Amino acid sequence: MSTLSLSSPKMMSERSGGIPFSRLFLVELRKQIDTRAGRWLLIVIALVNTALIVLTLTTAEAKYLTWSELTMAASIGQLLLLPLIGVLAATSEWSQRTALTTFALEPRRTRVNLAKLASAAALGLIVMALTLVAGAVANVAGMLWRGGDGSWAMDWSMLFGAALALLLLVAQGIAFGLALLSTPMAIVAYLLLPTLWTVLTAFIDALAAPARWLDMNVTLLPLMAGGDLRPTGWSQLTTSVVVWVGLPLAIGLWRTIRRNVA
Amino acid sequence: MITAEHLTKKYGSRLVVDDVTFTAQPGRITGFLGPNGSGKSTTMRILCALTAPTSGRSSVLGQPFHTLPNPGRRVGVLLDASAQHSGRTGREILSLSALLMGLPRARVQQVVDRVGLTRREADARTGTYSLGMRQRLGLAHALLGDPRVLILDEPANGLDPAGIRWMRGLLGTFADGGGTVLLSSHLLHEVEVIADDLVIIGNGRVLAQGTTADLLATPGTHVRSLSDDDALVRELVEAGHSASVTVSGVSTSAGVDDVGRIALAAHIVLTDLRPAGATGLEDLFFDMTAQHARDGVTA
Repeated sequence: MSTLSLSSPKMMSERSGGIPFSRLFLVELRKQIDTRAGRWLLIVIALVNTALIVLTLTTAEAKYLTWSELTMAASIGQLLLLPLIGVLAATSEWSQRTALTTFALEPRRTRVNLAKLASAAALGLIVMALTLVAGAVANVAGMLWRGGDGSWAMDWSMLFGAALALLLLVAQGIAFGLALLSTPMAIVAYLLLPTLWTVLTAFIDALAAPARWLDMNVTLLPLMAGGDLRPTGWSQLTTSVVVWVGLPLAIGLWRTIRRNVA
Repeated sequence: MITAEHLTKKYGSRLVVDDVTFTAQPGRITGFLGPNGSGKSTTMRILCALTAPTSGRSSVLGQPFHTLPNPGRRVGVLLDASAQHSGRTGREILSLSALLMGLPRARVQQVVDRVGLTRREADARTGTYSLGMRQRLGLAHALLGDPRVLILDEPANGLDPAGIRWMRGLLGTFADGGGTVLLSSHLLHEVEVIADDLVIIGNGRVLAQGTTADLLATPGTHVRSLSDDDALVRELVEAGHSASVTVSGVSTSAGVDDVGRIALAAHIVLTDLRPAGATGLEDLFFDMTAQHARDGVTA
């Protein structure tokens, strides 16, 4: 027995099994929030949301001071910034060269990427849940301070829409990160390309019709408004998601498998 | 046990690894020696399934690396000590991997102690680490899963002499316990004292391999006669050996016994007869890689 061997019986017994997905999921979740960049993004999201709550509390009419309205106001920060945590989760493996350890510990690279997707989605849901709590606190504050309506009726379809939109945008961030494998390129592409496309479709009449199917900025609007999308709305949303999330994700998964880690 | 069979890697038309075949045995330290840019790192990345070979096969503990379940528990890998997230602390990096491998939490502090990092150093972001501290963290990471195989690329790089001595002891203990160690280096004197076996690589090709003792043992004999070196050379050449007169006597490829018998038969009186002094790995390494090295001298 070497003096190096510090193994307990438990360590030995676990040696034979593979890594369960739940552990990959937990590790990837922790990796998204244990770096300075990740923490700052979360702090900025909290600050933006707090500012929006304060703005709503001070300027909105009393009848709009409800749990539902305040929660929606406080959801903007994560819609804008949480996808960037997704981008970083995908690209930092390469920019920080941690892929060298990550894929030596789990050579099944697609499992790692799926764990990134699942954990980013979970982070999105956690942030949404915290937003609900923040909205509730703001609702009480609104009642006490401004004599607000204070209704506890939640517009669940709107909340569901906002949560789904958030998950799709986070998935898009990861997809762009995996497809481009470079932090600056992926962030610029994620922020710029969809907007550019929206601007183009606004100026070129011929693009207006396809844009209803191919512009996530357009197809997500009815979802976030909590309206009934009906078959057409869902098909349009699905089509745009296939193009803006599915396609880069497929490219990214393929690139990750093929790439030589150096 | 690590085996590489006819590993070849081409980047475009550039041949980086060229038909590399070797075995690293358990209980032994195998030194993977070559100048910078000779294909050591690429070969090691192929062994760890991080780079796909153009052709050839490799296995670790009897199976291809990418099929190992939870490989961190079997194979400790340190390929580049600088490849760590600069925004994480050393302890956080170890904790993440311990969580992934399913290790008890206490294991992290054990390996931190093992490699001689202080608690304060472990709690600092790796962006602030010196190269020596990164190497220690990398070794801690490689040892984390209590593996049976270590694959280490230039682990001594950046360590001070005391650190290098410490690492020697650590790897020696690991191999004595039945572990397999493959470590690369371009620093000859390091490998000379630590490795049981050597694989010498230059320009992507294996130039020599064998036990360090065999590779270091220079065949040949130094001999001196009382008055007739020329005749001795003639007799040796006639017997099928190469031989030549030097300033201090005769140098020949024949073994000591053969030279003695030949001299006796030819009635030549010898005043000096001994195996040629070990030339040292440095000469061997230099001879073998001089024409292959990028800039001639990297040792």
